Amino acid sequence: MDADRLREDFPILKAGKAIYFDSACTTLKPRQVLEAERAYYEQASGCAGRSAHALAKKTSEMFESSREKAAAFVNAAPEELVWVKNTTEALNLVIRSFDYSQRKKILTTRLEHHSLLLPIMEQQRRGIVKMELLKTNPDGSFDEQSIAATIDRSTALVAIHHTTNTTGMRAPLEKIIKIAHDNGAAVLIDGAQGVPHSGVDFRRLGADFLAFSGHKMLGPTGIGCLVGKSESLEKLDSFIVGGETVESVHIGKVQFMKAPKRFEGGIQNYAGAIGLAAACDYLSKIGMKNVEEHEKKLAKRMIEAVQSVPGAAIYGSPSSEKRSALVSFNLKGVKHHQVALMCDSLSKIALRSGVFCAQPAMESLGAPEGAVRASLYVYNTEKEISLFKETLEKIAKLGN
Amino acid sequence: MLCFIALGVFAFLSLFSAKYRPLAARAFSCVARKMTLRPCDTGLDEEIKAASIAGIMKFSPQAASFVNRRFAAFSFAFTLLFFASFLLAAQGIANFAIYGNCNGPEGGFCIYSGIQNPAFLKAPSTLQGISAGNESARLTVFEFGCYTCPYTRDAEDTVKFMLEKYGDKVHFVFKPFPLPTHPNSKWAAVAAACAWEAGKYWEYREAIFSNQSYYREGGDAAFKATAARLNITGFDGCFDAKKFLAQIETSISEGKECGIYGTPTFFVDGKAFVGKDAAAEAKAEVERLLGVA
Ligand SMILES: Cc1ncc(COP(=O)(O)O)c(C=O)c1O
Repeated sequence: MDADRLREDFPILKAGKAIYFDSACTTLKPRQVLEAERAYYEQASGCAGRSAHALAKKTSEMFESSREKAAAFVNAAPEELVWVKNTTEALNLVIRSFDYSQRKKILTTRLEHHSLLLPIMEQQRRGIVKMELLKTNPDGSFDEQSIAATIDRSTALVAIHHTTNTTGMRAPLEKIIKIAHDNGAAVLIDGAQGVPHSGVDFRRLGADFLAFSGHKMLGPTGIGCLVGKSESLEKLDSFIVGGETVESVHIGKVQFMKAPKRFEGGIQNYAGAIGLAAACDYLSKIGMKNVEEHEKKLAKRMIEAVQSVPGAAIYGSPSSEKRSALVSFNLKGVKHHQVALMCDSLSKIALRSGVFCAQPAMESLGAPEGAVRASLYVYNTEKEISLFKETLEKIAKLGN
Repeated sequence: MLCFIALGVFAFLSLFSAKYRPLAARAFSCVARKMTLRPCDTGLDEEIKAASIAGIMKFSPQAASFVNRRFAAFSFAFTLLFFASFLLAAQGIANFAIYGNCNGPEGGFCIYSGIQNPAFLKAPSTLQGISAGNESARLTVFEFGCYTCPYTRDAEDTVKFMLEKYGDKVHFVFKPFPLPTHPNSKWAAVAAACAWEAGKYWEYREAIFSNQSYYREGGDAAFKATAARLNITGFDGCFDAKKFLAQIETSISEGKECGIYGTPTFFVDGKAFVGKDAAAEAKAEVERLLGVA
C-alpha cells in the first residue's frame, strides 16, 4: 500500500491541517465515506423497513447491504450484526442484557477501556455480577499461566479487549476463548482497537460477541457494531426497545423480533451505517493484511523514534511485533499534557495525553498520572514520524 | 498563576466577543479554585504554559528551557506585574479624569495624552478675562492659566517678556482656569479679580506666582494679608462677598468648552499650545507671525 497516495483521499490531510497521530481516539475520514453518507441523504433519505414507497425501499436496500458489508468485513453473517451507536453501547448492551441467573462471575482485566469496565462495575454495584480480574503484568502482557486457573465454571462472561488503547498490544484471545468455552463461559471482545488495525475473523476467533466502532476505522461517528453468534444474541435480554423491535404489540403482550432487529429500536443511523460500509470497502480494498504490515513498520519506526529521545519512557512491551502503530510514553521532566500541547503548537502534531479513558490500565502500566499517546493509521508516513521525533527532541530538552 | 492574568484579559475580551467567554469562564473557574487553594482543573494553566514555551522555543530553545524550568516563578512575577500595571493604569485613568494628566498634579509624560491633542482644542470666542497689551491689535493671544499651578508660574516670565516686547502689537487676554486639584486655585482667581478691580492686578499676580505654596496652604488669610501689604482697598469686602466667583466659573466653563485639559494653554491666533513648554512655543509663534524671529 502507498500511504502517500491514500492521503489524497483525506480532506484534512490534503489541506495540510495536521500530522494526525490520534487515530486511536478517532480516525480521519476519506472522501469516499463522506460521499457515501451524502448519497443516503441525497438519494434515499427515507425510513428502512416501514414505509412502502420507493425512497423507503431504497433506504432499506442501502441499509441492509451495509449490514452485509460490515458483517463480511469481520467474517460474520448479516443477521449476526446489530447496529449500535458505538463500542460503548455494544459493550453495555451485552453486559447489561446478559443472563446471569446461573453464573455471576465476569472476568476482565485492568487493561480495559472505561467503556468495558464501567458497565461491569455498575452491574456489580447493583449486585448482579461479581467482577474478577485476569492477571496482567506491568508491561501490559498477560500472565498466561494463571488464565486457566481464573476462568472456571462459575464464570458467566469473559469481557476483554482485542487490542488495548493504551499500548496497542493484543490479548492472547485464542487461549482465553478456548478456556472460556471449555468452562461454558461466553466471551465478549472489545474490538474497538482491534477491528480497525488487523483482520479480525469473527468466525475463526470463535468469540460470542465482538464490539467495534465505525469512527475508529475511517467510518462516521455515531455508528458501531455488535457482532454476536445468533444463539448468543438470542440469549440476551432486550436492551433498547421501541419502534421496529417487535412483531406485534398488544397491551400486556409483546412479540419481539429476532436478533439483530430486536436490538435496533427506533429509526437507525442509516447514513452512518452506509458510511461505515464505505469505510469497510475502503479498508478491504487496501487489504487488512497490508494495513497490518504498514502499521508494523510504523510501530517499529515510532518505537525507535521515541526511544532515541533522551528521557523518554515507553509503556508496555517495546517490541513492535506485539503492537499496532500505537505508542504511549512520557518524557522526563515534562508533563504529558505539555508535551501534547507543544507538539500541536510547534508542529501541528495531534496527539492525545492523559489516561485515555483507561485509568486502571495506566495505573497498572506505571503511569497513574497519564501519558502521551501517538496512534497511527493507514495514512501516516515515516516522514511524519521523523518530524515527530525532531519535535520531541526539542521538547525533551526542556526536561533535562 | 497565569489564570489570574487570563481572567483579566479574557474577561475584557469577552466584552467585545462572545468567543472569549468560555475561556474567561475557564479562567474564572481556575482563579476560584486557586483562591480556595485547590489546583486548577480546567487545563487552562497547562495550555497557556505550553503555548508560551512553544512560542519562545521558536526563537530560542535555550530561553524556552530556561523559562520552562522557572515557569512558576515567571508566572508569579508576571501576575504581580499584571496587577501592578493594572493598578497603575487604573490610577492613571483616575488621575486623567481628575487632573487631566495621568501622573496627577505634577504632570509629566502621559500616555493618554495621545487622546489629548492640542489640535482638537477650540480657541475661545469671547475676549472676557484680564486684558493687556494693545486691545486693537490684530493678533490676540489667550492664556488659560491657574494661579497656584507650577506650569502656569513657569510660563510667567515668558508672558511678561511677550507683553514687554510685543505689547504694542499683541492683544493679550488671560482667562483664569483654576485646576480643582490645586488647593485654593479658584480662590486665588477670585482674589486676583478683586485686585484687578482695585487696579493692582499685576502686582497681585506677581505676588502669587512668586510664592505659590504660601497661597496653596494659607488660603483666605494669605490672600487678605497680601492685599493688605499691597494696600488694596476694599479687597476683603470684595473677596468675602465672592464678588467675582461667578465670572471665574464662567471662565472655567469657557475653558472646558474649548477642551482645555492642562494649564497653561495658549492660543496664538487660534493655534493652541499646552503645558510645560507652551509659553515658549506661543512666544515663537507670536514672533513668527510678527515676522521678528
Ligand atoms: C479499547 C477501547 N474500547 C472502547 C472504546 C470506546 O469506543 P467508543 O467511544 O467509540 O464507544 C475505545 C475508544 O476509545 C477503546 O479504545
